[in-house]
Amino acid sequence: MPDTTGEPVPAEKGQVQPQSASPDEEPRIGVYVCHCGDNIGDVVDCEQTAEALGKLGNVVVSRSYIFMCSDPGQKLITDDIKEKGVNRVVVGACSMFLHEQTFRQAVSRAGLNPYLYYHIGLREQDSWVHHECPEEATEKAIRLMSAGVAKARLMRPLEPVRLEAAKHALVIGGGVAGLRAALDMARRGLKVTLVEKTHFLGGRTAQWEHVFPTDEDARTLLRGLIEKVLAEPNITIHTGAEVVAAKGYVGDFQIRIRQQPRGVSDDFEAVEQAIAACPVEVPDEFDYGLTTRKAIYRPYEECTPAGVVIDWEHCTRCEKCLEFSNNGGIRLDDAPHEFEINVGAMVVATGFRPYEPPQGELGYGEFPEVITLPQLERILASDGPTGGRLEWNGHPIRNLAMIHCVGSRQIEGVHKPQPDGNVNDYCSRVCCTATLSAANQIREYFPDVNIFDVYEDIRTYGRGHEDYYLQASENRITFLRYVAEETPEGVKAQKGDQQPRLGRVKDHLTWGEEIELPVDLVVLAVGVMPSPVDDLVVVFKISPGHDRFLLEVHPKLRPVETAVTGIVLAGAAQGPMNIQESCAAAGAAASKVEGLLSQGRVELEPYVAQVDPERCQGTGECVRVCPQEDAIHLETFSVSGREVQRAVVTPANCNGCGVCVSACPNRAIDVQGWRLDDYEAMVDALTAEIPALEGVV
Amino acid sequence: MSDNRLDVDTLVVGGGIAGMQASLDLADQGYQVALVERDPSIGGKMIGLSKVFPTLDCCSCITTPKMAAVAHHDNIPLLTYSEVESVASNKNGFVAQVLRKPRYVQEEDCTGCRSCELVCPIDLPDDENEFGRTSHRVIYVPFTTAVPQTALIDLDHCIYCGKCIKACPPDAIDFTQQPEHLEIEAKTIVLATGYEVTPYDAKKEYGAGKLGNVIDALMMERLLAPTGPYGRVLRPSDGKQPDSIAYVQCAGSRDLTLGVSYCSRVCCMYAIKQAMLLSGALPMADITIYYMDIRTFGKGYEQFYQNAKTMGIEFVKGKVARITEDENQNPVVRVELIDENSRVAERTHDLVVLSVGMLPGWNPQATFGVPVAEAGFIQIPDCNVSPTVTTQPGIYATGTAAGPMDIVDTIMTAGAAAAEAAAYMQNHKEQEPAVPEAAPAMRDKRSTVHA
Amino acid sequence: MTAKERDEAKKQTEMLAALRKQHSDQVKQAQALLKEQQNVRKTLRGAMKAGPRTVPQLAEATGLPSAEVLWQVTAMKKYGLVIEEGLNEDYEYYLYALSEEVKR
Ligand SMILES: Cc1cc2nc3c(=O)[nH]c(=O)nc-3n(C[C@H](O)[C@H](O)[C@H](O)COP(=O)(O)OP(=O)(O)OC[C@H]3O[C@@H](n4cnc5c(N)ncnc54)[C@H](O)[C@@H]3O)c2cc1C
Ligand SMILES: Cc1cc2nc3c(=O)[nH]c(=O)nc-3n(C[C@H](O)[C@H](O)[C@H](O)COP(=O)(O)OP(=O)(O)OC[C@H]3O[C@@H](n4cnc5c(N)ncnc54)[C@H](O)[C@@H]3O)c2cc1C
Ligand code: SF4
Repeated sequence: MPDTTGEPVPAEKGQVQPQSASPDEEPRIGVYVCHCGDNIGDVVDCEQTAEALGKLGNVVVSRSYIFMCSDPGQKLITDDIKEKGVNRVVVGACSMFLHEQTFRQAVSRAGLNPYLYYHIGLREQDSWVHHECPEEATEKAIRLMSAGVAKARLMRPLEPVRLEAAKHALVIGGGVAGLRAALDMARRGLKVTLVEKTHFLGGRTAQWEHVFPTDEDARTLLRGLIEKVLAEPNITIHTGAEVVAAKGYVGDFQIRIRQQPRGVSDDFEAVEQAIAACPVEVPDEFDYGLTTRKAIYRPYEECTPAGVVIDWEHCTRCEKCLEFSNNGGIRLDDAPHEFEINVGAMVVATGFRPYEPPQGELGYGEFPEVITLPQLERILASDGPTGGRLEWNGHPIRNLAMIHCVGSRQIEGVHKPQPDGNVNDYCSRVCCTATLSAANQIREYFPDVNIFDVYEDIRTYGRGHEDYYLQASENRITFLRYVAEETPEGVKAQKGDQQPRLGRVKDHLTWGEEIELPVDLVVLAVGVMPSPVDDLVVVFKISPGHDRFLLEVHPKLRPVETAVTGIVLAGAAQGPMNIQESCAAAGAAASKVEGLLSQGRVELEPYVAQVDPERCQGTGECVRVCPQEDAIHLETFSVSGREVQRAVVTPANCNGCGVCVSACPNRAIDVQGWRLDDYEAMVDALTAEIPALEGVV
Repeated sequence: MSDNRLDVDTLVVGGGIAGMQASLDLADQGYQVALVERDPSIGGKMIGLSKVFPTLDCCSCITTPKMAAVAHHDNIPLLTYSEVESVASNKNGFVAQVLRKPRYVQEEDCTGCRSCELVCPIDLPDDENEFGRTSHRVIYVPFTTAVPQTALIDLDHCIYCGKCIKACPPDAIDFTQQPEHLEIEAKTIVLATGYEVTPYDAKKEYGAGKLGNVIDALMMERLLAPTGPYGRVLRPSDGKQPDSIAYVQCAGSRDLTLGVSYCSRVCCMYAIKQAMLLSGALPMADITIYYMDIRTFGKGYEQFYQNAKTMGIEFVKGKVARITEDENQNPVVRVELIDENSRVAERTHDLVVLSVGMLPGWNPQATFGVPVAEAGFIQIPDCNVSPTVTTQPGIYATGTAAGPMDIVDTIMTAGAAAAEAAAYMQNHKEQEPAVPEAAPAMRDKRSTVHA
Repeated sequence: MTAKERDEAKKQTEMLAALRKQHSDQVKQAQALLKEQQNVRKTLRGAMKAGPRTVPQLAEATGLPSAEVLWQVTAMKKYGLVIEEGLNEDYEYYLYALSEEVKR
């Protein structure tokens, strides 16, 4: 049995000897096959696999265990390293994305270089895809792992690339999530730069007046948060600014920012006159198009930064406002300016936008009496288009219907897809409670209004949310339930109708009765969609998910990280979230950034190109094919009195793609840890007549 | 660690996923964290689950590495089987008195080899981990993946035969062990004491826990886990492999008769998850979920629900009024079928699972002076903007101690609590030597706004 | 055994005896539990001698409630005394048999 042949390494005074000193030492390989509970074990015969691998050369221990990643599982490895002199480790388990770090840490705990461990994915690449054919799956497991053993024989100790990290973080987006993340990081001593695309801080929250679950005034909430942010000397804020280009890596990103000028100076006084003079009128996005604003405007009274700005997209440069501009208070010729900053990590908190129903969905765009929930929020706001009165086109509202899940929980084939071809098949999480909160407010301030709430499921899930539902029921709000296959028909008006009606609703709460509701306002509880981030996705090479929200690496293991180390997510950019959840996510993001940058340095994987100067002839092929900037270049050396050119790698900029390896005519470049010899040995092992297979499969 | 004193930056109370994640987030920033867990192992409820929604990752695969990371982190002294008895505050923060309960096994010596367990003659119901559905010996390692892998003795059932002493290779057994007291000084505290589920005998309409084949969902998690009591799904009254399984939603949530008005947030998702896992484990079985609203609100959750529907899981909108049993101990569910004109029907199943709700776990008021709010979860005054900040400066709450939530949301709040605690400590470090600054000076130091 | 080891063994025996005395009521109860458990196990082993049995079959043969039988069989299985032998012919119940270890 290979298990018993291992001779314990003499340990000096109980100290673990670092065993990776010599790359030439005889490999003593430990092989570990994980059952992953029943994930692998139900398909692959793990005992047989371990037994077969135990027969391979250099393998001194071969074991299987129910959960290798658990503490007792890791202990098997660390004990074997210490007691059996194992100096190369191969683990066959779940995906390496899940647990490569776990096992690296275990291996280094036992005193071995962490890169003397290799991971084989037996779950994703074997048991999950071949659960119908266990015998073949077992053979595949043996072959995959014997390739791992072949690589292990050639493995050498590696050191991560260590770099200085800028103790400076960038936050993109100035909504509650971005503000909260900036505050959390600054309070820990990091320098923070926050860029906000619009000219004002606060994001969507500024547009609601009354927020659940506390019934707070959103403006007060925001003011409190913004005050704290402003009081932080570590934070620099750029409004009207966007990231236009980025390069670098964790610890050292170079970010190019473009900032639009405001066009109006801080101390400009004749604000009202200038606004009155401006002849341009455009729909006011702050009121979701219910009102208009001028090309020189401010979104709302107490916005931060205070003061007015010019909307360059719509400004016609008519210069009417200049009349009030004494000494250059207004400057129409200001140009955007660009600048660069250097940051160690960043938080993407770009938030969301409400779903915009296509023309005709439930009568939207056809009947003026059909509006969206964000528009209703503006109507109810004291600084909104009606000053908080529940009116529409000058008439007080008497009967109101609210329809849930518009633009959410959509079904393919039933609903109109978005331009990318996907429907919004997700739940938007915030609209149910926001709808009921609005309904209760209406009940309170306008007790005579009849409210019909038309829903599929009521999702008042959060702490304090259910109370809105209970209150709504007590408030005699009439609930009607539809099922996904039979959504309400939409709004129609018949001849002689004083008001439109919400057409055919099949109510599943009252014996499936079909009802038509005469109402004077229909409110669509529209869902949320991510803010447009196509440009950031390209600039940062991060990915959106199927639902277009930015994607985390793993919702439980790495919930705020993106696939790019050093770029983390916060708030509604990642998925629908309410304020509380956005702030919690921002805190988690800040913690992650702290963990990355607090030491002032970061470590990158050592898998970078390495030039063999003996073989390099200085052809420059590698430099030509390399897709990265500044990753490889030619330098002049003097070799026995002769000037020669040799390729030199800048490890921090190399991403280990290996294109140069394939281009080099002299086989002078290899990627560390993944040399051509490694691949050859692995391929040989995969296709070999494996003695280990004898008598097993 | 001196013998009975420990000086750390943060004291984390509770070693479920919330406490583990908060500890790791702080320790990774270089803070010293003492993690105090009441049970013999860390892991909380999560380590007992089967697979976790929405990714259907095997739960052990997600939890055990975190447990190991906590146990091996240089900055985290881990104190299991320990309780905080009292806390006082001083100028540096807090001083906590911690009781270390005796295991009657030396933690430093025990290797978790289980030799003792094999020779111990008495089997006891494993109430802590398996709801009594299986057994452990009087001396036992809590469960396969427990951290630490240290045995403990249930002295109340011990006959002092001494077999374990003879069997133990490292001589770790010590019947004379006494409770120990430890003083922990910390600058900040994170409360992560978690939740309990609705007792499954709470509702007399549902049989008050007396029906042999009505179980709660946590129990079903164990039946579905590879490390579970039977190693497969069997019903507890007679070991039959069930052909028809029903879920009763909101069994303990949104139920004013139990004094619980709130939604427990996770039950819809875990029921759907279990239903999916059951249809994998028992492909021939019929699975029904009786619900009022399906609340699959998280990222990817609605899609999960729609997948379950296409897998043939039957979703029936209806409130279950009563559960009884027939002469073969088959549960009979009386339900108003809302989509069938609210007709009242009686349906017989082999096994019924109660989707029990989340109740507050431990009340920190007496020990930490942190009050709880409605329903008994920790009070968070500024819950929108500061969702982890309690009424006590320097004390933060994370996870289900602050209200029902799933693992994803729990991990988020753990990071947020860590950020708050770190900021608080940084702030106090800076303020210590200096005289408190006057307000005008603060204004000079404001952030720079380039508008 | 060296003299020292003998000495220690003796001390241990004395300590255990003292502990038994000190906790005599509780030890009595635990011993009763052990006794009962041993009896139940004996009947169950008897019922499985003839071959693999389902839980209801074992309950009928021993007169024990079926839930109790399931618990005992599960406990025995956990410590390797009983093994599971597939489903019965109606595909409803699993069959349990004594493990080789017990048969010997
Ligand atoms: C109708 C409705 C009512 C609601 N009511 C409530 C409520 O009562 N209570 C509650 O808790 N939640 C409520 N919400 C949810 C709440 O609005 C969100 O939780 C919150 O706004 C999310 O904050 P955020 O910072 O993640 O995103 P946002 O508020 O969207 O902020 C994102 C910010 O990023 C900026 N940005 C976008 N792209 C870029 C870019 N490329 N570069 C720079 N900056 C960029 C945006 O301009 C914006 O300022 C409601 C939502 C809706 C739709
Ligand atoms: C049946 C069921 C299935 C579920 N499935 C899923 C799922 O698939 N996916 C998902 O995301 N979520 C799921 N959940 C939810 C999940 O269990 C919780 O979100 C998560 O476990 C909460 O973790 P926690 O750390 O807050 O609490 P807990 O897990 O309860 O941990 C609290 C810890 O604190 C300890 N403790 C308590 N009081 C003290 C004290 N005074 N001193 C010291 N220690 C103390 C406890 O012993 C415990 O270890 C499920 C829940 C249930 C009921
Ligand atoms: S929160 Fe409510 S209204 Fe919004 S999508 Fe989800 S279920 Fe529909």
